[in-house]
This record gives sequence, C-alpha cells and structure tokens, in this order.
Amino acid sequence: MTKEKHDLAGWVEEYAGELYSWATYKVSDDELAKDLVQDTFLAAAEKVDDFKGNSSPKTWLFSILNYKIIDVYRKKVNKTVSYEPSGFSDFFDEEGSWHLEKRPKDWHDQDDNFLDDSDFQLVLKACLDALPEKWGVCVRLKYLTKKNGDEICQEVGVSPTNFWQIIHRAKLQLRDCVEKNWFQN
Amino acid sequence: MKKIMHILFLSCLKATELIEKKLYYKLSFREKMQLKMHKMMCDACTNYEDQSIILDHAMQKGANPENIVIDLEAFKKNILKKMEDTK
Repeated sequence: MTKEKHDLAGWVEEYAGELYSWATYKVSDDELAKDLVQDTFLAAAEKVDDFKGNSSPKTWLFSILNYKIIDVYRKKVNKTVSYEPSGFSDFFDEEGSWHLEKRPKDWHDQDDNFLDDSDFQLVLKACLDALPEKWGVCVRLKYLTKKNGDEICQEVGVSPTNFWQIIHRAKLQLRDCVEKNWFQN
Repeated sequence: MKKIMHILFLSCLKATELIEKKLYYKLSFREKMQLKMHKMMCDACTNYEDQSIILDHAMQKGANPENIVIDLEAFKKNILKKMEDTK
C-alpha cells in the first residue's frame, strides 16, 4: 500500500537485469549472482526508509550489491592472499629478462575499437577466470570498487607491497593469455 | 655487462613490476628515471606498458548488459515474491 512498496517493485522491474549482469561479471557464477541480486533487493526492502533520495535508486542499489560482492570476495580470500615469488620463471629467465617467446609483441592496435568487441570481452573474461583465484580477486576488486591500492589492500588484508606484486603476476598472465587467444588468432 | 645494465636500468622483471606499481603508487624519482631508461632500450617492456593500460580500460568496460541469458521475467517475479514473503 505504501509508496515505498510500489517503488521497490518498480526498481526490480527496472534494475534487476542490470544488477544481475554486473554481478555475473564480477563473481563469474550465475547462481551466486542471482542470489546476490535477490539479497540486494531484500536488503533494500528492509532499508528503504533510510534511502533519502540523495542518490538515484540505481546508484543506491548498486552500492548495496557491490557491498555484497565484496563480502563474497572477502570470504574467498579469507586472509590467505599471499605472494608467491615462484612462477616468474614462466616469463623471465633467472636474470630477469623476457623469455624470447614470452616477449610482449606489438598488438598493432592503432585504435581501441576492439575493446567494444563482444568476442574480445569473452576472451578477456575467460582469461580473467583462468587466473588463480586470489589474483583474480585482487584484479576484480580494483575494477569493482575504483578504490586506490591501499584501500583494496585493507579490504582483502594484504600489505600494499604484496598488492601490486599480486597485480603484477596477474597482469603478466592475463596479458599473455589475451595475446595468445585474441591477437594471434 | 648484463648485470651492470640491470643494476643501472632494471631487469625486465623489475621494470614490469614498476609499470604495475606506477598504476597505484607514485614512483620515486630514481624509479622513474630507471624505468624511462629501460623502456628506451626495451621494446618488449614498452609494449607491456601500453598493453597493461589497454587491459585496464578493457576491464573497466567489462560488464556487458547484453549478455543476459536467464529468464529475466521469472527472475524478477521470484524476487518480488521473496520480498512479499519476508514482509
């Protein structure tokens, strides 16, 4: 009967799809994404009196969802994020020079049009999913929250030094994967 | 010779690490100069930096609303029902 109830139903209608696709992208798990979006609306229904309309409903819903996604990450990481120096040998010799076949090649991309190519996004997503979980979590957190390095470190309980080293490892693998699967095909 | 070069102008391993660090933190003057010199001599690391930034942009564009494959109407109904139930 109340106005809030009416609004919430409208928000489900209007934003559920967008929230869902965002959640799927972030957690790479359809069922989990559905649950998160549902939880988001349940939380919203509970807190709707607190919603003052300072931001748009969409922004407000997304902030609730993002909070829930970060929670998922936090549980996944569970303070076990650590930096393993092994594995650089996939890319560099013992002196720290690129292995010949791993040297980043020229992508010949004069424009960034391929970024909007849905096939490219699929390759990128597959490469992201192929990262070891704890690296992937760090990378996704960065793009999810738009926070700076220090804040993300606090979020997942790693030291700032570890943070960019984890990103470094993740990026080496991600770049290699994208080059193999997109630019050489 | 290579060792001296690496001490002065970084190894590729160290250079790529600084490239990533640079995206989050301010480099020291020394680090900046070393990285600059390294890139002047190393095409691979220059490519790496360009591509690292491209990948950043790509990931920011990531979420793609067109890729929805679920039955959205059923999904919405389900949420509304759950909201009713928990009232």
